[in-house]
Parts: sequence; C-alpha cells; structure tokens
Amino acid sequence: MSGELSIPQAVIAPELAWVGLAILLPLLSSVVCALCGALRVKNKLPAIVTALALAISFVIIVRAYFAYAGPVEVPIFQWMSFEWGSGGRFQSFTANCSLYIDSLTLYWMLFVTGLGTLITVYASEYMESDVGGGYSRFFFGISIFLFAMSALVLGDNLAMLYLGWEGVGLASYLLVGYNYDRPSAVAAAKKAFIMNRIGDLGLALGIFMLWANYGTIQYSELFAAMKNGGQTAVDWHLSVIPFLLMLGAFGKSAQIPLFTWLPDAMEGPTPVSALIHAATMVTAGVYLIARLYPFFELHPEALATIAWIGCSTALLAATIGMMQYDIKRVFAYSTISQLGYMFLGLGVGTSFGACYHVLTHAFFKALLFLTAGAIMHGFAGQLDLRKLSGLRHLAGWRIVSWTMFVGCLWLSAFPYTAAFFSKDAILLQALTSARADFRFLGWMGLFTAALTAYYTFRVWFRVCAGPLHFEGGNEGHGDHDEHDKHAAHAAPAAFHPHAPGWAIKGVLLILALGALVVGVPAYKAVFLHETNWVQEMIAHSSAYQGSGLGSGLGSGLGLGDAGHAGPVSHGDAHTPTVLGMDAHTGLTVVGSTASIGGILVAWFFHLRSRKSADQLRAALARRWWLGWIPTAMENKWYVDELYHYLFRLPLWFGSQILSFGDKHFLDGVLVDGMAKLPLALGRVFRPLYSGALQGYAVTMAGGVALVLAWVSWVWLRGMH
Amino acid sequence: MNDALSSAFTIIAPAQISIALAVSAILFGLGLIGFLCRRNMIIMFLCTELMFQGAALAMVAFARMRMDVSGQVFVIFILTVAAAEAALALGLVVLLYRRRETLNSEVWSELGES
Amino acid sequence: MELIWLSIIVPLITACVIAVGPSKNARTTAFVGSLLSLAALTLFAWNFPAWKNGQHFPMVAGADWVSGAGVSLSVGFDTVSLLLALLTAFLMPLCIAGSFTAINDRVKEFYGWFLVLGSSILLAFAARDAILFYIGYEFTLVPMTLIVAIYGGTERRIAAIKMFLYTFLGSMFMLAALLYVGWEHRLASGAWNFDIDALTATAVRLPIATQYWLFAALMIGFAVKVPLFPLHTWLPLAHDQAPTAGSVILASALLKLGTYGNYRFALPMAPAGGAELMNVVAVLSIIAIIYASLICWVQTDAKKLIAYSSVSHLGLCMLGLFALNPIGAEGAVFYMVNHGISTGALFLCVGMFYERYHTKDTDVLGGLAKRMPVWACFMVFFTLASIGLPGLNGFVGEFLCLGGTFIAEHDSQTGYPGVLGPWYAVVAGLGLIFAAMYLLILLGKIVWGPLREPASHASHASHGETHSASSTLPIDLGFREIAILMPLAISCLWLGLQPKPMLDAIRPCAERMLVNYPAQVERVLAESAATAQVTAPITSSETSSNSQ
Repeated sequence: MSGELSIPQAVIAPELAWVGLAILLPLLSSVVCALCGALRVKNKLPAIVTALALAISFVIIVRAYFAYAGPVEVPIFQWMSFEWGSGGRFQSFTANCSLYIDSLTLYWMLFVTGLGTLITVYASEYMESDVGGGYSRFFFGISIFLFAMSALVLGDNLAMLYLGWEGVGLASYLLVGYNYDRPSAVAAAKKAFIMNRIGDLGLALGIFMLWANYGTIQYSELFAAMKNGGQTAVDWHLSVIPFLLMLGAFGKSAQIPLFTWLPDAMEGPTPVSALIHAATMVTAGVYLIARLYPFFELHPEALATIAWIGCSTALLAATIGMMQYDIKRVFAYSTISQLGYMFLGLGVGTSFGACYHVLTHAFFKALLFLTAGAIMHGFAGQLDLRKLSGLRHLAGWRIVSWTMFVGCLWLSAFPYTAAFFSKDAILLQALTSARADFRFLGWMGLFTAALTAYYTFRVWFRVCAGPLHFEGGNEGHGDHDEHDKHAAHAAPAAFHPHAPGWAIKGVLLILALGALVVGVPAYKAVFLHETNWVQEMIAHSSAYQGSGLGSGLGSGLGLGDAGHAGPVSHGDAHTPTVLGMDAHTGLTVVGSTASIGGILVAWFFHLRSRKSADQLRAALARRWWLGWIPTAMENKWYVDELYHYLFRLPLWFGSQILSFGDKHFLDGVLVDGMAKLPLALGRVFRPLYSGALQGYAVTMAGGVALVLAWVSWVWLRGMH
Repeated sequence: MNDALSSAFTIIAPAQISIALAVSAILFGLGLIGFLCRRNMIIMFLCTELMFQGAALAMVAFARMRMDVSGQVFVIFILTVAAAEAALALGLVVLLYRRRETLNSEVWSELGES
Repeated sequence: MELIWLSIIVPLITACVIAVGPSKNARTTAFVGSLLSLAALTLFAWNFPAWKNGQHFPMVAGADWVSGAGVSLSVGFDTVSLLLALLTAFLMPLCIAGSFTAINDRVKEFYGWFLVLGSSILLAFAARDAILFYIGYEFTLVPMTLIVAIYGGTERRIAAIKMFLYTFLGSMFMLAALLYVGWEHRLASGAWNFDIDALTATAVRLPIATQYWLFAALMIGFAVKVPLFPLHTWLPLAHDQAPTAGSVILASALLKLGTYGNYRFALPMAPAGGAELMNVVAVLSIIAIIYASLICWVQTDAKKLIAYSSVSHLGLCMLGLFALNPIGAEGAVFYMVNHGISTGALFLCVGMFYERYHTKDTDVLGGLAKRMPVWACFMVFFTLASIGLPGLNGFVGEFLCLGGTFIAEHDSQTGYPGVLGPWYAVVAGLGLIFAAMYLLILLGKIVWGPLREPASHASHASHGETHSASSTLPIDLGFREIAILMPLAISCLWLGLQPKPMLDAIRPCAERMLVNYPAQVERVLAESAATAQVTAPITSSETSSNSQ
C-alpha cells in the first residue's frame, strides 16, 4: 500500500453548502407531513410536498454533479465533536454534520433522489385510498427515509453514516409496519429492525475500531491516515476492521446470515418495497464497502469472504425464489440474489461492476416491484401467481404487462440489456481471476444467472401470458376499504380489477425508459469504445482504489488487468480466457446461454404446458432423496425455523429463567432472606417477654444479681 | 447550738454502719420478695415503696458516715418523687381496676410476645 | 447563590402553603411553585459563568451551619450537577401536571410531599458539603416512601418498605465512608470540615489500601441507588407500585443521584480504589446490561419492563463512567440527563394509558394506535429515543459510552488507567440489540397490532358509563397531556441533533473528575513494583524452604 493510493485529498468547500439541502429538504417535508397528519389533512398535500422536495433534491444533486470538480468536504454544523487533553490525534472525536462529495457520492445520490421522486409520484396514486388516514404517515416515512439515506450517502464521517444507517432502518420499520393492525406486518417490521441492529452493532464496533486505530472517523482523514498506515496498529485490531464493517453491510443488504428479514419486509406497501427494499436502502451495504474499499484489504481474506458470502446468498436466494408463489416474495428473493452478485463483485475486486449493477438493478427492480404493486392495487391484494394469468390481454393492463416484461428481461440479464453488462462485469472479473475459488464462484454465479432467468420468467409467463384468468384478492383496493373487502368476499366471480391511472403508468414507463438508459454507458463502451461513465465515476472515488492496486495485495487477490480495464471497455483482456475463448466473447456466449436457457425452461413449464410443472413436481416427490427439495425450497430452506430454534428459543428460555431467578432467588431468597435475619434473631429472644410483670422483675433482679456477683468476684480476686 | 448539731449528726463509725445497711438490705429484700410473689397491684406498689426506702436508708446512713449532705439531698428527692409517683400509680391502679374489676396483675399481659 | 437557595426553598414554602390551604387549590399551587423553582434555576443557569471551565460556582459559599463539626450550608454547581438539577426542576412541573387526574385522594399531601421530594433532590445536587449532600440524598427517601406507600398500587407497602430499607442500608456505608474521610481531614488539618473539595483533596492522599476500602464503601452506597446488578431488586418493585409521577421522578432524578454520587465522590475521592476496582464495576455493569434486558424481554407489565430497561441503560452509563477516560465519562454524564428525559417520558406515556384502562398488562391491552393515535406517536418517539436511534438524544450518550469503553486501555500518553477495551464493548453492545428487541416487542404489543382492550373497559364504554377517573379523560390525549409530552419530545430531538453545547459544557468536568488518575496510577504501579521486589525474595525463600 504505497503511493498507489492516490485518493485526491478533499478540498474544504463551504460554498457548496447548498448541497446540504438534499438532506434538509426531505427532513422539512417530513415535518410538513407530520403536521398534515396532526391537522388531519384530507387531500394529497403530503404526497405533493414530498415529491416536490425530492424533485428539488434531485435537481440539486444534478447541479452538484455538473459543478463537480474533485472531492470536497462541506462543513455544515458541529454535531458530536470534542477534544480533551492536548487535543492530539487520539484525544479528539469529531463527528460533524458535514458533507463529503466525491463521484461515488454523486453517483449514489443521483439514483436515490431520482428514483425517490418517481416512486413518490407512483405512491401518490397507489396510496390514495388512505388519504386522510395513513396517507401523511406514509409520506412522513418516505421523507424520513430519503433524509436518512441522503445523510448516509452524503455524510463526511462514519457517525453520519451510522445516523443514516439507523435512520433508514427506522423508516423501514415504520413503513413495513404501515398496516399496523396486521400482526404479520408488525412482526415483519420488528424483525427487520432487530436483524439490522445485529449488523449495526458490527458497524458501530468497526467504527470504533477505525477510530481507535486511525484517530478519526472522517473519510478524508481516514484515507490520508490509510496512506501512512494505522498508527496504534496492533495487527489483530486492524485486520478485524473489515469483518466488523462487513457484518453491518450484510445486515443492511440482507446477505447470509442476516437475510431473512427482507422477504418478510414485503408486508409493507409496494412502493416501499420498491424504493427501500429493492432500489436504495438495501444497497447501503454495497455503498459502505465501496466507500471504505481500501480498508477491506486490511485482511487478505476479507474480500474473499465477501465474495463467498455474496455468491452463496445469490444461489440460496435464487433457489428459494424458484419455489415461491407470491410475486412480491419472488422479487424479494431476487433482490437478495442480485445483492449477492453485487457483493460478489466487490469481493472479487470489481467495485465498478458492483456499483454498475446497483444502478441497473435499482431501475429494473423498482420497475418490477411497481408493476407487482399495480397488479396488487388493481386486483385487491392478489399476488398469488397461480391465481392470475394472461393479464396482457386485459384492457388497461398492457402497459403494466409490457413494462413488467422489460423488467423481467433485465433481471434475467438478457443479452445486451444493461443488466447483462453489469452482471457480466462481475462474472468476468470472477472467471478471469487468478484465484481458483473465485473462478469457481464465477461459475456458480453463472448457474445462478440461469436460475434467475427461470424464476423471473416463471412469474411473467404465469401472470401476464397465457389464457386470461384471475381471482381478486381478499383485501380492499388499497388495504383498508371495508366496502371493497366485503364485495370481494361476497362475489369473487364478479370481481372487476381496476386499471392503474396515469401516475402509475407514467412512472412505469419512465422507469422502463430509465432501465434502457442506464445501459447507455455500457453500449457506448462496447460499440464506441468510450470509457464507461460509471467506471469513470467509480474510478475517481475511494471505491476504486482497492481494485486499482496493481501490486502487493491486489495481485495476491488475483485482481489482474481486468480490474483496471473493465470488462466492456478497452478489450485488452487477452490473457484470461473463458472456455478457451477470449474472455469477453466467451462470457457473452455463456451468459447469453444461461439467460436464454433459463427463459426457455420457464416458457416450457409455465406457458407452453403448465401441467408439466406439476407433473415434474410429482415425479420428484416420488423419489425420497429428491422429494424433499422442492418442499424445503418452498419453506425457504427452513432458515427462519433454524434461527428460531437456535437463537430465539434458547434465549427466550434463558430470559424466563433469569426473570424467575431475579424474582424468586435474587430478590426472594437473598434480599428478603437478609431482611428476615433480624426477625429470626428476634424470634429467639421472644419467649423472654411473657407479658407477666413479675417475669420482667425476676429478669431484672437476676440481672442485678449477676452484675453484683461479677463485681464482687472481680473485687475478691483483686483482694488476693 | 453547735453542740446540738454535732450530737444530732454524730458521725457513725464504719463498724456501726453495717447495722443500718443490714436494715436497709432487709427492707429492700422484703420489698423485692413481696413484689415478685404477690399479684395484688396495690401490694406490689407498696413493695416497690419498701425497696425505695431501703435504698434511701442506705443513702442516709452513708451520708452520716461521710458527713456529706448530698446523700440526704438525694433521699429528699426520692421521697418527693415517690410521693408524686404514688399519686400517679394509685390513680393508674384505680383505672386498671375499673377496667377489669380485679387487682390481679396477671390479667394485664398484653405486652407478651408469645 | 440566592437563586440556588430560592430554587430549593420555593418548593418547600409551596408545600407549606398547600398544607394549610384548601385541597382544591393544591394542584395549581404545586404547579406554580415548581415552575417558580424551575424559573429560579433557569435564571441561575442563564447567568452561570462556569459553563466552559468545569469549575464550581459559587466557588466559596455558605454560612457555617454546625460550625464546630465543620458542616456548612454551602451550595454551588458545576455544569454536571447543574444539568442534573435542571433536569429535576424541569421534570417537576411536568410530573405535577401529569398527576392532575391521576391523584384523587389525599391530594394536598401528595403535592406537598412531591414538592418536598423535588426540593431535597435539588439540595443533594446543589450541595457543596458532604453532610449537606447526605441530608438531601437521604431525605428524598421520606417523601418517596410516602408517595409510594400511600398512592401506589396493590403491593405499595412492601415496595415502599423495601425501597426505604434497601437504599437506607446502602447509604449507611456511604455515610460511614464520608465521615471517615472527614475524620482523616481533621487529623491532617486539625479541624472538622466537610467541604467536598477539601475532602477530596484529603482522600486522594490516603494510602492505597485505605482508598480501596473507601471506594468500596462509597460504591456500595451509590450502587444501590444506581442500581447496579445484584443490588437492583428494589427498583422494579418500586417502579411498578409507584404512581406515575413517582416513577418518573424516581427514574429520572433519584437514580441519577447514584451515578452522580459516583461522579462526585467515589471516583475522584478514591482514584486508587477506582483504578483497582474498575473492572469489577465494569463487569457488574455489563451483567446488568445483558441481564436486565433479557428480563425485559419476558415482562408482560409495561412499567416493570421500563424499570428493568432503566437498570440496563444505567449499566451502560456506569460502564462509560468506569472506562475512566474523558470520552466515556462525557458520554456517561450526557446519558444521565438523556436517560432522565426519555425514560421519564416513557413512564408518563405508560401512566397515560394506565389512567384510561387501569391495567399495564401487555397481554390484555394492545393495538392502542387505533384508539389513541396521538399517544401512539409520542410512545413510538420516546421508545426510539430510548433505543438510541441516532438523531435522538439517547444515541449520543450510548455511542460515547461504548466508544469510551472500546478505547479504555491504559494510555501511556495521558495516563488514564482504563482496562476495559474492545471485548467489553462487544458484550455491552449486545445490549443495544436486546434493547431494540424488548422495546420493539413492547411497541408491537401495546401500540401496534389489532386493538385489544380489557373486557371491563369495553363493556363500560359500550354502556356509556365509565370509571370516575377515566370519565374526565378524552379517549386520546388531551391538551394537557400533549403539553406535558411536547417539551420532553422537543428536548429529545434538540439534544440529539445539537448535543455540541452540552458536550462542551460537560467536557471540562469529565476531565476534572479524572484529574487525579494519572498520578494515582503511577503511585499504584510504583507501589506494586515495590511490593513485588519485597515479596520476591520472600517467596523465593519460602519455596526454597518448602523444597527442603
């Protein structure tokens, strides 16, 4: 780690304080929403205010992007900071409310605020049945989320990041539990928060560890200190940092072992799932690792661990996703799976690939969720893919069907879609790695890609293609409407889905367009041989430095030339090969095969002959050594149950025992026992007090006699 | 006058004091035994008076022996207090008698713990 | 100076006025009296000259009171005690306003004793004389016991007696230790003097073994009050049984006397003892954190749950204090104030639904967000503050306490003697996860979920007849209740977003508390080195004789 680390030193630029509005505006809009709630406003004002605030934030970020010249630090106000003693390096703690703006920050903020605005517009229609009720609460949550997410990304230190980190957790808690009278929603919200807290502890400890080693938690100073190496560095301390930070990232981004909260979080309203649990919040883990990328090389196996965890999560979630019937759950598992890819990318050394995949994924997954939401909205909460079919033939649903088709194509990484390039960037890096286990992970990722294509199109072929057939769900249009609920129960046959309005359709179209547009950097790179814009953005931030280390650790990790070049840019990857072909060509072939193969299988089982899927299942079930697999996949490999019996139940029993012990042993036996000691002593002497006057007199006389006897004995002895 | 005074306050020889002490001990002992054995509250009260007088006698005797009036001063105090006490105690006895129609002290044992 | 006495005496005078006045005026009088006291203290704080330097102000004060014994009526504040006193004075009017509908019998006595309680807590925080401190510290027990024993729940007598005896026993040790130091001071200087600074100056010169016992005795006294792990059992019972206002003041101000005692007496007076016993206290604190939060998990009584959460939270506060470095101490003091605000607010919230439903059992009551949305907003807010959500007040203290613990290793540069380090922080950090767990479970039960109301309440409501107490209350919070919770919510938010002024004010005091540590640690090290040299030949000769 020598002069290679060339993160430009941040310039202090107070004049850029207006960028802080991107944090302030959502906060203000949350205040307005809270006021609307308190005043019981009965119109769409909260949505309008939120959308406006987010749109302005987006404009601000775009302006900041065009004004960007190099990393800057923008002090706003002092939050938690003080120094003691002489105020030396390890005698101060600075965590101010300041911004750190570099290309990575801008990259992230661009899609966070952009998607935030779009999804708010969508939600303004989606949630309209709650106007005057939970409407303000919903947009309060959204505003708080955007505030926290902006603080997370824009903050110049890890305490700000932690603030945002927990803040998005809070927003997630409030929004997942939006329908608070549904116990499952409450439980899901709780689970999400608590599982995130486990990760947060790792993050907090990692922050302390960084502070203890480098004496600061501000990015710019950390990177500067990194160049000199840690100062109070005990080896053990330094090498444990990446693992602690990793835990935080795994919690927020739903990776093994902390992934089980994300599917449950689908209890929240669909725009929330799209915005928080697909596009933005769950990528915070990727952001954390990308932001502190150099520190993940403090231990040689840290990145490898990330790669392994990411790839295993991708595979596991894909297998579960294959056997789910709830559309949103399928997409939730696909989110986990795609996040796994991002971690794989980070782990094998292409932070560019990971960050690019974050961007493409944000668009197509938000799109997919919003189409699912449109269906849910129109079909009274129906999300079971066995009960919906052929929607593309239904008037008013064409846009939904075809935008969903676009989303599915992108998710299955169909050749020459944006996601194809971003996924291939990751897989190429893995497959051309010098490390054998990374190459294995690459093949595993390819296999997962095929599974992804299968389960994605399983949804589309079931829901949008085939003969028209549908059943309404058992919820009112938008959750609370008692009348609709009643109607749905009474006459399911007469169910009339209501087609989405302009806000939903418009947003879907814009998102589909966006999914196309995010492919532009890759097209430019492939066809015009220009530098990929995303790579440009990443290359000039802290995220790229690690993968740019040509020597030392980098080569040890097998981060060869491909890391520099990027898979789709200059095409100088002549040494590494895939299946004997040039790496690019090889991967294009293999990747396309995996994707198209998956789609074809899905087409066969779920469109051409839907019966054969059941037949296959039945055939599997007849073999005892295979029959359990689909069931286990349906039941999410029993991970929730495992956690329940491994952690929750023992702890719960332990707590019961402690509670009993506290009441009956510590308090009952020890404390009360101590208090009873004087009582017991008194009981010994109690018979002496008979109440008879003479008794007392005898005692007194006897006492006097005894004293006299003793005195005279002493006296007599003195005489002798 | 001086003579009369000196004859009245003849110093008792140490040998002679034993007689006075013996009388006082007998008085005290009688009082004590009476207090312990009798149940009649008035008798018991009288017995305490007897014990008082035993103690007072001893004091007077010592005062004579030492030619120190403080002993006699004490005795006068004791007498005064005893008189006040008698008034109070007899009043209490009357009160107690009215409550239980008996002078037996054994009926008053509520303070007993067991 | 006069303002300090004014803030202490005004509640007492008000209590007298209430005692002679008619009982229908009692609550208004009490409210005005507590406001006046708060105003006096605020005025004092406004002109407080020592916000930045950690000194006491007024520096020298007070007439001799028991002059021969060196006890003087001297009062004064440093920023820490001023903040805690402000917290107390701030909560008094809120508690009194919170009792307007809750207390219907023996109204005069309640408000009178409550004001006396507030006054004695203020006296304890303001005292610059150890005996005066003890008087304030100990006298709090009398009104508190009466409040619990007369206005409490079904087991109120037992709770009150247990609280009184337990804490009284503890403070006997503390008094003995303080008197001992006073005696040592007399031996050294020839006159009795119980001025805290003088005592501290004497105590730090005592031999190491003496300091050890001194520290242990002081610690026992304060640990009961904090309460630290094995000595905590009086607290849940007292909280459970006390009326709402009593619970609030108990959690927010009375318990702080314990941590404040550590800050003011135990740690600065016996640094050698502190340096030697800090890992014991730290381990007990960590046990308290984990143990109490696990117990919280299975509680079904909302008030008991919050009481146990106090034990857990104050364990973290003690841990920060015993990290023995400025960051930990700073975090601990900050946490004292903020725990007072957020836990007090939680007790008020619980009291508000208890007044309506007459039960605190989370098994029969739930989903109140449907019935009381405004209340639910406040409850969620304060719970999040208590969980330690960044941006709210709880976070800053928690983060600094944990950070202080994390880096509390012996620092050769500054000489701070910490021995805790990362592993302590890891285990204590588990408490953060558990805190989220039990508090969110509490929320999940009583705020969220389908509406569950006790059968009796529902039937009353449907027949149009209600309890006498709850008939005067609206279904959701009324204006008075919102006005009580609002200042607390605002201070939670303000301290969470702008902790800097307060941190700046605390820092010099935190450093001052630790000022004797570097030298003492040198002393302990030198002494242990000397003993090692002395004992080494002995042990070698012993072993040689054994081998023969």
